[in-house]
Amino acid sequence: MKSSSKVSSFLNKPERAAYLFIAPAILVLLIFMFIPLVSTIAVSTLRMDVFMQSATFIGLDHFIRMMGDGKFWNAFGNTAYFTAFEVPLQIAVSLLAAVYVSRNTRLRKFVRSALFLPFVCSLTAIGIMWSFLLDPQIGLYTEYLTRLGLPRLAFLRDPQLAMPAVILMTVWRNFGYTMVILVAAVQTIPASYYEAAQLDGAGKFRQFANVTIPSIVPALGFSVITATIMALQVFDQIFVTTQGGPLGKTETLVTYIYKSGFQTAPYDLGYASAISVMTLIFIMIVSLTMNRYFQSKESTDAR
Amino acid sequence: MNKTTLMTMLGSVLAIVLLVIVLHPFLWILLSSFKSEQALIKFPPTFFADSYSFAQFATVWERIPLLDFLKNTVIFSVGVMVVSVFFDSLAGYAFARIKFKGRKLLYTFVLILMMIPFQVMMIPLFVQIYKMGMLDTYWGLILPRAASPFGIYLMRSFFVSLPKDLEESGRVDGLNEFRIYWNIMLPLCKSAMVTLGIFLLMNNWNDLIYPLMLTSSTEMRTLSAGLAMFVGGRTIEYGATLAAATISLVPLVAVYAMAQRYFVQGIATSGLK
Repeated sequence: MKSSSKVSSFLNKPERAAYLFIAPAILVLLIFMFIPLVSTIAVSTLRMDVFMQSATFIGLDHFIRMMGDGKFWNAFGNTAYFTAFEVPLQIAVSLLAAVYVSRNTRLRKFVRSALFLPFVCSLTAIGIMWSFLLDPQIGLYTEYLTRLGLPRLAFLRDPQLAMPAVILMTVWRNFGYTMVILVAAVQTIPASYYEAAQLDGAGKFRQFANVTIPSIVPALGFSVITATIMALQVFDQIFVTTQGGPLGKTETLVTYIYKSGFQTAPYDLGYASAISVMTLIFIMIVSLTMNRYFQSKESTDAR
Repeated sequence: MNKTTLMTMLGSVLAIVLLVIVLHPFLWILLSSFKSEQALIKFPPTFFADSYSFAQFATVWERIPLLDFLKNTVIFSVGVMVVSVFFDSLAGYAFARIKFKGRKLLYTFVLILMMIPFQVMMIPLFVQIYKMGMLDTYWGLILPRAASPFGIYLMRSFFVSLPKDLEESGRVDGLNEFRIYWNIMLPLCKSAMVTLGIFLLMNNWNDLIYPLMLTSSTEMRTLSAGLAMFVGGRTIEYGATLAAATISLVPLVAVYAMAQRYFVQGIATSGLK
């Protein structure tokens, strides 16, 4: 009784209560995000394996080794390839879809929910599904394509086609996510803008180019940046379908981090952390540059 | 025919094409889970089979500890959802409605963490969970996700939008700060909390690399991680793999069918800012 009245009198001071309110969340973020973030940099300078028996300081050796590691550069190149094609495709498809489904008729609402469905599903299940559909022998879609006159393609097992197949699979799964963001933005455009454009004699396409696009630049920028960050971290769908193969053609930075740290001897956590640090640096550079670009776009459009 | 109707028709055609491309694979996997192994490896493959049965689901039951996977996934993702929504709303409330020293600094800290990809901190996190002796446990899975920077951000923006002086009536009635949060503010934020809860549920249910890394025994795997390991093993039958994938999809798709609005809301608000 006494202690509970003490607690409530303590809680009567808003400022003191505030610290109690934020304490659990801040502690979790501190222990499980901030400290690991800082230690990534520390671990990247250590020679340490997954069994953590011994750790010796080796300075920047991992980074020097990375520069001469062909597998690292291969993973880097593949990640860049994936990002360069996946992001524009995802944005283009979702923009087209968003323009159609942003009006609130019953049919369009249904189409909107249906197109978002793949994003609700795990990439693991989706990876399994597509590796069946694209199988050279028993794949239904491989069969459909041969009926259209194409040769029997091996998709995920073909060094040339594996990455394009993974890219299309990812666009298929993720475009609904970007579409939802863009629909929310399109719906905030005042109808009067379109009316004014119509009075000026602008057709649908002109309205799209001169009213819709400029009005959703912030949301578009956000979509491009988040899609790029997601693409630079691509892992799940590759882990399930190709495991980085064939011939390392779908090995990306994160699959390479996972493999060198957890999957193949000598389970080199130090080296894997060094690659993580490099990945963070790439992501920061790319997203900050993009952010700058879109901010400048916004301010020139707002004139 | 004028230009506008032509554009509308073009839009409808495009929508139908997208709809077929998106839904066809789902119909296929649903149907295929009921096909026999022979029907699945038959050449050339066909969309329909001659007969359907539940046999594959029985095989899954024998080969994969699916019930364990399902249980682990539910405990992990629902656990994270409940704890994180509570912690995030508490913190979001304090950041939004109470003035205190260091508020700006701490909120900036939250916003910075929101932008850091998980992959960057996963290795030290693994080391940390190992040293705490929580590898391969439910606590080890739930605790690191017990608060989310995005969740704090989302809850804060909802609390900020509430009218001023709502708290005053509570203070006049002599309620303490926690009571004000719990009895007055929280009931107003129900939809924000459901939105955040669904967002967290979806992300954690579907996550692969995180549970893959923090669990090591088959009995502790989640659906995503367990399935990925089995596919990686390549020893399993086709039909059983498909049936297992279908089972892993059904719960979330069912929740989505019932609460679409909330799935979409969290994502839509993240883009509007």
